[in-house]
Amino acid sequence: MRVDIAGRELRLLPERALWCLDSATVFVADPHFGKDAHFRSAGVAVPAGTTHADLQRIERVVESTGARRLVFLGDFLHDVGSRSDETFGALRSWRRRNASLEIVLVAGNHDARAGSPPQELDIEVVNEPHFEAPFAWLHHPREVPDAHALAGHVHPGVRLASSRGRRMSVPIFLVTKRLTILPSFGGFTGLGIVEPRPGDRVFLCGEHAVVEWTSPAR
Amino acid sequence: MITRALELFTRRGWTPFAFQIETWQSFLNGVDVLVHAPTGLGKTEAAFLGPAMQALASSSTSKGLRILWITPLRALARDLARHLETTVRELGLSWRVEVRCSDTPERVKRRQRASLPEVLITTPESLSLILSWPDGEALLASCRSVVVDEWHELLGTKRGVQVELALARLRTISPGVRTIGLSASLGDPLRALDVLVPDEDACKRLVRGDVTRRIEIETLIPNEMGRLPWAGHLGLASLPRVIEVLEPVATSLVFTNTRFQAEMWFRRILEARPDWAGVLALHHGSMDRELRAGVENLLADGALKVVVCTSSFDLGVDFPAVEQVVQVGSPKGLARFVQRAGRSGHRPGATSRIVCVPTHAIELAEFAAARTALACGDMEPRIALEKPLDVLVQHLVTLAIGAGLEPAPAFEEVRRTHAFQDLAPEEFDWALDFAGRGGSTLSAYPQFARLAAQDGRFVASSRRAASIHRLNIGTITADGAVEVRFAKGARLGEVEEAFAARCRPGDAIRFAGRDLEVVAVQGMTLFVKRKKAPRSGAETPRWMGGKMPLSSHLGAALRREISRPRHEWSATPELEALRPILDLQARRSRLPGPSEVLVELAKVREDRLACVFPFEGRAVHEGIAALVSWRLARRAAATISTTVTDYGFGLVGREVFPDDPATWRDLCSPRDLDLDLGSLLAGTDLARRQFRSIARVAGLIVQGFPGHKRRVRDLQTSSSLIHDVFMRYDPTNPLLEQARREVLDRQFEITRLRAALERMESSAWHVVATDRLTPFSFPVWAESIRGEVTTEAWEDRVKRMARAIDRPARAAKRSVP
Repeated sequence: MRVDIAGRELRLLPERALWCLDSATVFVADPHFGKDAHFRSAGVAVPAGTTHADLQRIERVVESTGARRLVFLGDFLHDVGSRSDETFGALRSWRRRNASLEIVLVAGNHDARAGSPPQELDIEVVNEPHFEAPFAWLHHPREVPDAHALAGHVHPGVRLASSRGRRMSVPIFLVTKRLTILPSFGGFTGLGIVEPRPGDRVFLCGEHAVVEWTSPAR
Repeated sequence: MITRALELFTRRGWTPFAFQIETWQSFLNGVDVLVHAPTGLGKTEAAFLGPAMQALASSSTSKGLRILWITPLRALARDLARHLETTVRELGLSWRVEVRCSDTPERVKRRQRASLPEVLITTPESLSLILSWPDGEALLASCRSVVVDEWHELLGTKRGVQVELALARLRTISPGVRTIGLSASLGDPLRALDVLVPDEDACKRLVRGDVTRRIEIETLIPNEMGRLPWAGHLGLASLPRVIEVLEPVATSLVFTNTRFQAEMWFRRILEARPDWAGVLALHHGSMDRELRAGVENLLADGALKVVVCTSSFDLGVDFPAVEQVVQVGSPKGLARFVQRAGRSGHRPGATSRIVCVPTHAIELAEFAAARTALACGDMEPRIALEKPLDVLVQHLVTLAIGAGLEPAPAFEEVRRTHAFQDLAPEEFDWALDFAGRGGSTLSAYPQFARLAAQDGRFVASSRRAASIHRLNIGTITADGAVEVRFAKGARLGEVEEAFAARCRPGDAIRFAGRDLEVVAVQGMTLFVKRKKAPRSGAETPRWMGGKMPLSSHLGAALRREISRPRHEWSATPELEALRPILDLQARRSRLPGPSEVLVELAKVREDRLACVFPFEGRAVHEGIAALVSWRLARRAAATISTTVTDYGFGLVGREVFPDDPATWRDLCSPRDLDLDLGSLLAGTDLARRQFRSIARVAGLIVQGFPGHKRRVRDLQTSSSLIHDVFMRYDPTNPLLEQARREVLDRQFEITRLRAALERMESSAWHVVATDRLTPFSFPVWAESIRGEVTTEAWEDRVKRMARAIDRPARAAKRSVP
């Protein structure tokens, strides 16, 4: 799905990533890598596999777009329990396969608890807001002066309801005049239901397609 | 030997019933008993005095636990303790009687960890918690008798299975411990005894308190039938008549079927009779314990005129002041109806009086059906659960973090319960593996360890794992509850997270019978203040899971009732009142005979509607509706929504439904039932919904509690997310299979479903196209969508939904940590 924001051509990808042609950059928010491992370390039996599948999905996006740079908009690791050999092992081998990729992380609230990514992943960590005209990279969504903000954190989603009350929750890209919020990337992350305001553009993110939600009432 | 009990009764001016004497004698002869008697006849004395007299007769003065009293009702434990304390004093025993449950004061809890009192009253959850203490088993070892109160309420639930497992443990720790079960209103009490005491060689017997109580059933028939709606469940149209019924009686209980309904009725009665302020009270399960205890005390003192309540008053101690019971809406089942009626006039020999208030027209026939069925002695049985693996997993972790667990004897012990008597060794091994390492496929759960092996025993792997497990013991799934309290302190109760999420400061809400204004929403607490003048637009919270299905027995009775020949109607006041509506149904469509199935087809605005009326209760209808819509959608890509009521189900779609009886009979055929249900479950989110409680019980969802919230915040997740992760990364996990089985067993009641389909297959089918909705089809149409089967692609579906929307479903902004 193509959208033009701040004079740039952006693509909203069903893999829950945002692709900027001009800067050859893929943006991804809230992967929460190793969330499954953190649960297991606390005694909650959750099967492994989400981190691995998420990394494959990123690889697919990078390959198909030919991106040179990957930006994580916060919450790279889920918590201290994510710092396991198994999670880091998966991340290391993924990094080796994508050695030429430049990777930047905008530190989010989970990163403060979970700690920085290990050195050998070669990820540059920046604080929010990080400006690169015409955009500002953030984790926590807010409007910033003189730039269009790209952020994550809220795991935005909407609940669709048919006229007879049947409901369905769908992750979204929420695009306002000065702010774009990305859906959470991690396969083991939930949704935060948001209420779009008049004028906001809402893009529903399905398994294979992104669909703009243009209900007449909105 | 029973002279001490007889003396006590004489002092109190009581005469023992034969069943009480039989219980004491059986107990003293070393026999396990289940006492089956109506509420209010002195089952407590029957149970308690046996063990008490045994203690009086023995010379032993050893300290420590002697009698363990398990009750499903935390709220009534305190009253019971007070009652037993009096008895203990009168008998001259120097025993401590204490309660142990989640709201026992910390000081008492600490004392109990050192030594348990002689008489301990506790809930199934707190008993499991004691088993999870490293020295818990040592403290329980001196127990001589265990009383299981309200066994009919536990039987057939996961809590009941939790009790079965705890009893098996107790019988190992303390060989010779005697069991006394107490139960009311059960269809099959002998079977209930076998679940409680499964050992075939044990000396056990059923003691029946066959004291018949007369029940007088009166239905409030509206003066003008036209004012009684065809659908709905609030019943407020009958308010003036109900007030007339309440007026002359000193004390009445008004039972409603949901908490929301109770709040509404309380308010409307108060508005109609402001002079009843102070003697009118509200009582439901989401109100704070202290508030409820206040109401109970006033009721016990005879200081209240009317209490509006829900199933929160179905069980427990009796209130002699209650003279009359009003039932608003369907009784849903015969046992429940008798239980509620029995809340009034429980002095022996007195007559129970229940006044039935219909909330919609057909309910009139339901009341008549209940009366007919009870006259024949009909009653629902409780079906015991079999092999709920989630409960087993939880129990095994409990034992391991307690005294430690040795696999071989634990397997034998678990197999001594009714629920797990057929447990295969592989199933046990899987449960233990899952409990300890998260599944037999080690690769799927790297670095997960809840339990560790130590000299052949399994113990907790870490203190955090143990304490997280203790927080989550239990099988009751609560929706994230948000506490409601005044900014200056006092707690009012709990509402669901979804309701609290919509509240903004300044909003007016009505809760616990009060007009309130929201001051702030902070974490898991909703702060409120009193609001002076009530104004319109105040919202009353609703709670999920409010609607019970009609029982099979009442459903069958209703089918018989409405198919009675026309000339018999005049003999039954309810049917006579229904005459105009039944006539209209016959005119617009048809009144189904006893062995007929009726299908009505209608077009409402854009939608096509097909209604089928098996009268089997909403659970079974949900199953048939899902099955039929799936079979239809398989023929051609479509999205079919379903609605259900207790009388029938509806299919709503855009395409024309078949109109020949043969096709409908085929669609509802029991042929290939298992196969079709299997594929249908794979393609819908039904199993996903059921997974919620399983995930919770098996410890996959860490529940937060007010005050504990912060500790587990990093582990919060939703059950549907967990379900999806399992489906993808561990699809053969037996818990997923259990979810599918539970949907079939519990939600669709597969046994009933199959029986219903077989009955329908041999029935005559009639398909009637109607140009307007009928008294039967209108309620089905008015019901909100329950399920949906779709074979459309995601994008088509989203586009269609997006078009159909007037606005996004009401939702709230919130941030995800």
